[in-house]
Amino acid sequence: MTSFIIENIAPLMFAALVILLLFGYPVAFALAANGLFWGVLAIKFGLLGPELLQALPQRVFGIMRNDTLLAVPFFTFMGLILERSGMAEDLLDTIGQMFGRLRGGLAYAVVFVGALLAATTGVVAASVISMGLISLPIMLRYGYDRRTAAGVIAASGTLAQIIPPSLVLIVMADQLGRSVGDMYQGAFIPGIGLALLYAVYIVLVTIIKPNWAPALPPEAITIREADGRAGYTSLLAIVLAATAGGVYLSLFYLHWIWACALVGFVAYLVAIANKLLKLGLLSRLAERVIIVMMPPLALIFLVLGTIFLGIATPTEGGAMGASGALLLAFANRRLNWSLFRQAMDTTAKLSCFVLFILIGSTVFSLVFRGVNGDLWVEHLLTSLPGGQLGFLIVVNLMTFVLAFFLDYFELAFIVLPLLAPVAEKLGVDLIWFGVMLGVNIQTSFMHPPFGFALFYLRSVAPNAPYTDRISGKRLEPVTTGQIYWGSIPFVLIQLIMVTIVIAFPRLVLVSLDTGPKVDPNKIKIEAPLDQGGGEQPFIPQIK
Amino acid sequence: MRGLLALCRAIDSINAQIGKAIAFLIFAAVVVSSANATVRYIFDTSSNAWLELQWYLFSAVFLVGSGYTLLNNEHVRIDIVAGRLSHRTRAWIDIIGGLLFLLPMTLVIAWFSWPFFAKSVAGCSLMGTHISDLLSWAMPPQSGNDCEISSDAGGLIRWPAKLLIPIGFLLLMLQGISEILKRVAFLTGAGPDPLVKEGEHHGEHAAD
Repeated sequence: MTSFIIENIAPLMFAALVILLLFGYPVAFALAANGLFWGVLAIKFGLLGPELLQALPQRVFGIMRNDTLLAVPFFTFMGLILERSGMAEDLLDTIGQMFGRLRGGLAYAVVFVGALLAATTGVVAASVISMGLISLPIMLRYGYDRRTAAGVIAASGTLAQIIPPSLVLIVMADQLGRSVGDMYQGAFIPGIGLALLYAVYIVLVTIIKPNWAPALPPEAITIREADGRAGYTSLLAIVLAATAGGVYLSLFYLHWIWACALVGFVAYLVAIANKLLKLGLLSRLAERVIIVMMPPLALIFLVLGTIFLGIATPTEGGAMGASGALLLAFANRRLNWSLFRQAMDTTAKLSCFVLFILIGSTVFSLVFRGVNGDLWVEHLLTSLPGGQLGFLIVVNLMTFVLAFFLDYFELAFIVLPLLAPVAEKLGVDLIWFGVMLGVNIQTSFMHPPFGFALFYLRSVAPNAPYTDRISGKRLEPVTTGQIYWGSIPFVLIQLIMVTIVIAFPRLVLVSLDTGPKVDPNKIKIEAPLDQGGGEQPFIPQIK
Repeated sequence: MRGLLALCRAIDSINAQIGKAIAFLIFAAVVVSSANATVRYIFDTSSNAWLELQWYLFSAVFLVGSGYTLLNNEHVRIDIVAGRLSHRTRAWIDIIGGLLFLLPMTLVIAWFSWPFFAKSVAGCSLMGTHISDLLSWAMPPQSGNDCEISSDAGGLIRWPAKLLIPIGFLLLMLQGISEILKRVAFLTGAGPDPLVKEGEHHGEHAAD
């Protein structure tokens, strides 16, 4: 018995963890206690020294000193304040009007606003709930297919998970030992790519089933000119002018981020002047669009711009964003004492549970590594056929299945530390690996029947027949089955994106090559010798 | 049982007060961190003390607030199986988990973190008094006489941060005791169902 335990202590430890977690006791404590139990056993069997226990406070202290994780409360706090600042409502109304005349227009608006909210708040619940409350009733009123409407809202809400600044990317960067800034830059293109794929899906729907996503009828378009014109011309003109100005500035004078900020600010001033002085330079639509787009764009600049320019660390970027969100909520007269207190309270509880899972997983992995569990996992995974590609496929399939049961913090803290060393040994770039898993883990929010985004949408979607306020028609509720079916095309889109990221690592790594921090002389491109070879990583390495 | 329930209420109220108060440090950390970035960019100067203050504040929030988080049942669980069990079974799981996991774990970490703190506080003084003299009844005599300070230039003294570990885990342990007692009370019929929030009276469903 004893020798059996000694020889198989790592697999036993892992099996015990799985069983304990399933009982539903808080993950953080089950992890830590399981680690301690096997640690004491290992000390008794002479596998580990007694200094293990004394190392625990040092480990906790290491977590306290971790600057990266400090970004977790900042971004959470920012998201909670923004959720109530009225920004999402303004955006959905105006962007819905902008796209409204198109077939599938409201769905495009949801994807677009979902991506914008993702780049500012990073909180899935907030995005899904505001879109479910504002856009869903309008979509139902004008006869959208319920599954498509529910699916696009849930999926666009989960963009918050992958488009920076997202919490899961921070946690993954920490676990992979990479910088959050690099992780953000790497996730940027795949994140935007996902939003584009969602839009492509809507295009396909409008072609194949036009009546699933109709255009808004004329009487539903409220923002228009006095003579009934839409006002697209002047919107297009100012967008083109701004783009031209931005390109010119960034080619000759400024970093492109500064150029965008400057041009955006000028456009905002023009719109404000047009509104206050009634200049009539811009159509009402153009004026509204520019004015509502300003707060999120300014926040994106404040957070991501300062990080990418190297002015602020990601942690400070989070703090700047939180300050910006407070100012915005204050300016919109939405900030009050109870919102402020509630936001701090929720942030404190969320950071506490996240950090305690990390403490628990640190205790667990301290012992797990002590008994050579990492070697066991490595042996298990390196013996897979197919080398690097085989490893990536198996890991992604495994993550996809685990994501049905575990949420992203658990995946990032428990599963990722086991996989990362193996990935590194197989020559997988860890930023690439992290982004790929990030897209994969994002699906956990839309997996029926446990995906959180689906729960959030269920909580705000009508669940009984109701009379529509505007049209006076009697409308059927949205069934839970419709929400589940609606999410499936988007889960498939996620899998397509994971495949794309595996096949084209440059999507992730290209933005790292051009980062301002990197000296071009130090970039060494390892030319692909054999594209078909499994072992050779055919991605440029930054040395 | 009545005395024990009074103890529960006392623990709950201590952790609730502490948790609500400590959450304000989140805002303090936001202000310190934004100010740091701004000052560094505009005046090109920064100080390690301010950088360290950020994580001192945040550590205080998540360590000292851990009992409060447990009180609100916000330490995340995997409820894929547990969600289908009856409230009584889940109460049993929480009692056993509390006794076998939470209490031993918090006890071990709190126990070993005390000498960790004691070592850093040796030689430090507060308002003219040596802290280790004040605490001599609780800690072994320390050999070193140098108050531990951050190794970065201009950094902060370390003992307040290290003191947060035993405090946090003790508060968590207390809350763990209270949660166990509340579930025992529920199972023996002496208390309400802890899974039903105040103000709701649904009774027990076989499968929630």
